Amino acid sequence: MQYIRNLAASLRQYGFLLGQLVTRDFKVKYKRSVLGVAWSLLYPLLTMAVMAAVFSNIFRVSTPGVSYVAYLLVGLVFFNYFSEASNLSMSTIVANYALISKVYVPKYVFPLSKCLFVGINFLLTLLPLYAVILLTGTGLCWQHLLLPYVYACLFLFTLGVGLLLATVSVFLRDMFYIYGIVLTMWMYLTPIMYDLDVIGNPALRALLKCNPLYQYISFARTIILAHRTPSPRQFAAAGASALLFLALGATAFKRRQDSFIYYL
Amino acid sequence: MGDVMIRAEGVSMRFRLGIEKGFSLKQGFVDLFDPKKRGGRRPNELWALSDLSFEVARGEVVGLIGANGAGKSTLLKIVAGVMKPTRGRLLAYGRICPMIELGAGFDEALTARENIFLNGAVMGYSKAFIRSRLDEIVAFSELGDFLEVPLRSFSSGMTARLAFSVATVVEPEILIVDEILAVGDLAFQRRSEERMLSMIRGGTTVLYVSHAVDSIRKLCGRVLWLDHGRILEIGEAESVCSHYENAVAETDGKEHTGI
Repeated sequence: MQYIRNLAASLRQYGFLLGQLVTRDFKVKYKRSVLGVAWSLLYPLLTMAVMAAVFSNIFRVSTPGVSYVAYLLVGLVFFNYFSEASNLSMSTIVANYALISKVYVPKYVFPLSKCLFVGINFLLTLLPLYAVILLTGTGLCWQHLLLPYVYACLFLFTLGVGLLLATVSVFLRDMFYIYGIVLTMWMYLTPIMYDLDVIGNPALRALLKCNPLYQYISFARTIILAHRTPSPRQFAAAGASALLFLALGATAFKRRQDSFIYYL
Repeated sequence: MGDVMIRAEGVSMRFRLGIEKGFSLKQGFVDLFDPKKRGGRRPNELWALSDLSFEVARGEVVGLIGANGAGKSTLLKIVAGVMKPTRGRLLAYGRICPMIELGAGFDEALTARENIFLNGAVMGYSKAFIRSRLDEIVAFSELGDFLEVPLRSFSSGMTARLAFSVATVVEPEILIVDEILAVGDLAFQRRSEERMLSMIRGGTTVLYVSHAVDSIRKLCGRVLWLDHGRILEIGEAESVCSHYENAVAETDGKEHTGI
């Protein structure tokens, strides 16, 4: 309880810093590009177009009954958020070395600001997602109102992983390379461009379902593509995995943050 | 004495040289085949501070003197909250302004105005506070014409002026100064020194590190003499300073006769 109160107090004092870091990232990201923020909308659409072309024409993946393009884009938008936010969070402590070793700043603001910054991007990518939903005739339903729940789960899960990675990478710089490989593997093990049912081996399928990202993506697909309310089990799995990873990452970060400075 | 602003209780700080910094998988793997290093590399310990206890009261100006490596900067970092002591504890009451690093968190791609807000946020100020002091900051830095220019186009002197102006716009309760910072051109140096002096004399509690014993004598009420991480002497400025100068002169003399 005391922990929560301390956290709230420091957020109140450093909330402005958090906002400044997020706006800084946003300004710096788009400052020199001609299309600017439009890239946030275009980028996932173009990636989707490439992947849709490759997977539906060359590998002949199809999702009977639902639009493959919409299916693909839901997975992509979720996975892109996770991969970008966790990757950026990982390097925040090492990258802000000059600051951390000179001024007292609560260190969690750095990974948190990255997760928020990419979160704004994520919300922007919902625009092309809804455009695709409408254009492919996938249609809307009231259950879309439940989606913020799974966005929150995705955010908390990513923050947890980001805090964990930021901690580990201070002590083990190899993590920057290792995680690149892990992310590639993670992308292929997450059913973004294929359906989990194509995997014949039931044991492997069960294993792949343990992937929290699968839980969030399938939650969103249940609503967006099947127009159904996710089952209580889906709700529980999404919430529990998010809180579990957040607790894991936050504990690791909190326990080790005082010794970061000796390793930077 | 008035209220205590800084209280150190048995503060000790240990650095492990060698094992900290730079463990990587490669090194770990290489070490596996080196029988001497197997089972962890032997920590090479350095006690930068050992068992420091002292108090600083409100409004006091305390100087820190000592040779290089005596632990002055480590002590400042602990007071600033950047490091936690290995043993003991250090309590600092009130808003701290560490004048150790100027321009912490400046971003080259942003304009001067944006950097003022970013830098202020790093120091823990609110948006309303910075906005209310913006004119004062700009006026002091004399960079009003360059407010919308990205920092990457600034000369290093201009950047330093901006940083100094943001850092000194506050009235902190505890001011930590590592040498009086002289930045910018001559005119600005004079003004910045004046400003530092007025802050120091203005009733805030100050921890002041300098190798210029004269300026310590001039500004400080009490002086803390650190040597190899221990307090050699703490007390009235004049006497500690002259003891320190004598000690320095003595070792100097020994070195000369030794040759």
